[in-house]
Amino acid sequence: MSASTAVLDQDQPAPAPREPRRRRWGGPDEDTIPVEFYGLRRGTVTLVTTCCVLFAIFTLIPIAWLIINSTKTQANIFETFGFWFASPFVFGKNFGLLFQNVDGYGVYWQWFGNTVLYAVVGGGGAAALSALAGYGFARFRFRGSRVLFYVVIGALLVPIAAITLPLYLSYAKVHLINSIWGMILPAMVSPIGVYLMKVFVEVSVPLELIDAARLDGAGEFKIFWRIALPLMVPGLMTVLLLSVVTVWNNYFLPLIIFSQNQLYPLTVGLGLWAERAQNSGNAELFPLVVLGGLVTIAPLIALFLILQRYWRSGLLLGSIAN
Amino acid sequence: MNGTATTAQRRPLPIRGLLVQSAWARRRDRKGFWFVAPFLVVFAVFMLAPLIYAIYTSLYTTRIIGGTTFTGAANYTQTLQSGEFWSGVIRVVIFAAIQIPVMLAVAFFFATMFDLGVAKYGSVFRTIFFIPFAVPAVVGAVMWSFLLEPQFGPFVHLAHALGFTQTDFFSSNLILPSIIVIVIWEWTGYNMIILYAALKSVPRDVVEAAILDDTPLWKIIVKVKLPIVRPAIVLLVFINTIGALQLFTEPLILQYFETQAISINFTPTLYIYNTAIAGGQTQLAAAAAVILGLVIVVISVSSLFLRRRRGEI
Repeated sequence: MSASTAVLDQDQPAPAPREPRRRRWGGPDEDTIPVEFYGLRRGTVTLVTTCCVLFAIFTLIPIAWLIINSTKTQANIFETFGFWFASPFVFGKNFGLLFQNVDGYGVYWQWFGNTVLYAVVGGGGAAALSALAGYGFARFRFRGSRVLFYVVIGALLVPIAAITLPLYLSYAKVHLINSIWGMILPAMVSPIGVYLMKVFVEVSVPLELIDAARLDGAGEFKIFWRIALPLMVPGLMTVLLLSVVTVWNNYFLPLIIFSQNQLYPLTVGLGLWAERAQNSGNAELFPLVVLGGLVTIAPLIALFLILQRYWRSGLLLGSIAN
Repeated sequence: MNGTATTAQRRPLPIRGLLVQSAWARRRDRKGFWFVAPFLVVFAVFMLAPLIYAIYTSLYTTRIIGGTTFTGAANYTQTLQSGEFWSGVIRVVIFAAIQIPVMLAVAFFFATMFDLGVAKYGSVFRTIFFIPFAVPAVVGAVMWSFLLEPQFGPFVHLAHALGFTQTDFFSSNLILPSIIVIVIWEWTGYNMIILYAALKSVPRDVVEAAILDDTPLWKIIVKVKLPIVRPAIVLLVFINTIGALQLFTEPLILQYFETQAISINFTPTLYIYNTAIAGGQTQLAAAAAVILGLVIVVISVSSLFLRRRRGEI
């Protein structure tokens, strides 16, 4: 915030408090009652922790399998023990295949690039539109605002399966089949994003602050951009994360609107390869599906681990708001 | 909203003047529309318009001889009378009735254990359990297909080693349980995190008082914690039911692995997909999509009313 709204600077609320740093990674939260006070039978903690370990093994088994088998040849994927490495170690060769048009249906990295494009533009657009609309619904009472908001909430109930086929049918009429906009623009419609942003603005952007800026003669959009938006960042990150994941994982819509393989996102490409691997007898495809799957999930898992703070607070917001 | 971190940032601001609802304020409020307008345009074009078009097109039928004619509710009666559509509906209802309670029980158990701090290294486990949320359903289904595959999959070898020599996870008896395991793998962490967040709002002094009264832990969980997170559980039942009724990606990917047990109408969404894309009967598929949408909306709205009547929202 610069000097142009100097009078505002002194009125700004304190910056959002950071989540207190844990004393020790993996240690208990600060406000947890020490477990000794519960009067538990001996061994309960060990038993529960064992349950956690078992469920963690269940959770990690497919991912471990994916990592191990991305280093194998097709024959070894089928013939050797699934949970240990086998020679020859061909991770490098498999990785090289991601750059080639192995099966004549497309190149992995092109699909990866498409997914990044759809997720960044679609997810970013969804976050931007949600931020604007959420702010508008939260801080203005214009004619019809309540009705419009209920329409948006009503759209939360429309299932993906019920909207995807109608989109396909409409695209066939207006020549949006095989257009990247047919994928990106619907991704920008996020009723849950609008709802979360409205709730977030209501609790984190004080009306008094906006009115003070108005008295200082700031325009409405300038107030949004310079004052409200910085306060909305944590909520915005959550909506961005949710929207990006939704686009990244979307399968049904791209499956039916794209017939040209150079437009496929990762999900459709991998699904096609999984089918071809079974039916075409191509000896390279199974390792490609395995390594391709691994490279698909790695960025998202990394993103989630880095942005933990946001999705925790954001999901909390969503669960309470509902 | 109660007691979130964000309320802490609000501090009273000096009043700079009495604000009354004036003509100026009304004119200012009108500007709010321009914040909402960009979303509304995309929303109208890519959500409302396709829905209306789907309803419109579902009222017509195209035949090779005779072209496209208005046939009113014919596509709807055909869908509602089709055994293929209903067998899919029944299958996803059975799927939801098993998968959701099992998953929520597991998620609630771990969420309470982490909340109470009974499990060691809670934050590490919380993060691990959440990882599948970041895995696209396509990749999750591909991984599990490899693991469960009847000829070389490691799980089949394991079953054989344990004496179950006839096990075939892709057979018509075991395909639904297999999909249930896959979906539980995908979604338990997400449900656990939401329940964990809801449990954090249980006041600490209530729990402390119960401990001082020597209340056993299981009783604290059932009598104190469970009632407070009931709205969150109801919400999760609702979200998961909507998701389960739309089951699509997992069975489709399993089908690629030559699973004979998955028919083209295995779930309602697969029926819609195959009717429209493989069968080319788009108007019939549009009617099925409208019916599926209505079924889900009816379930959602009635559960909302139920919650409102019980005073949960």
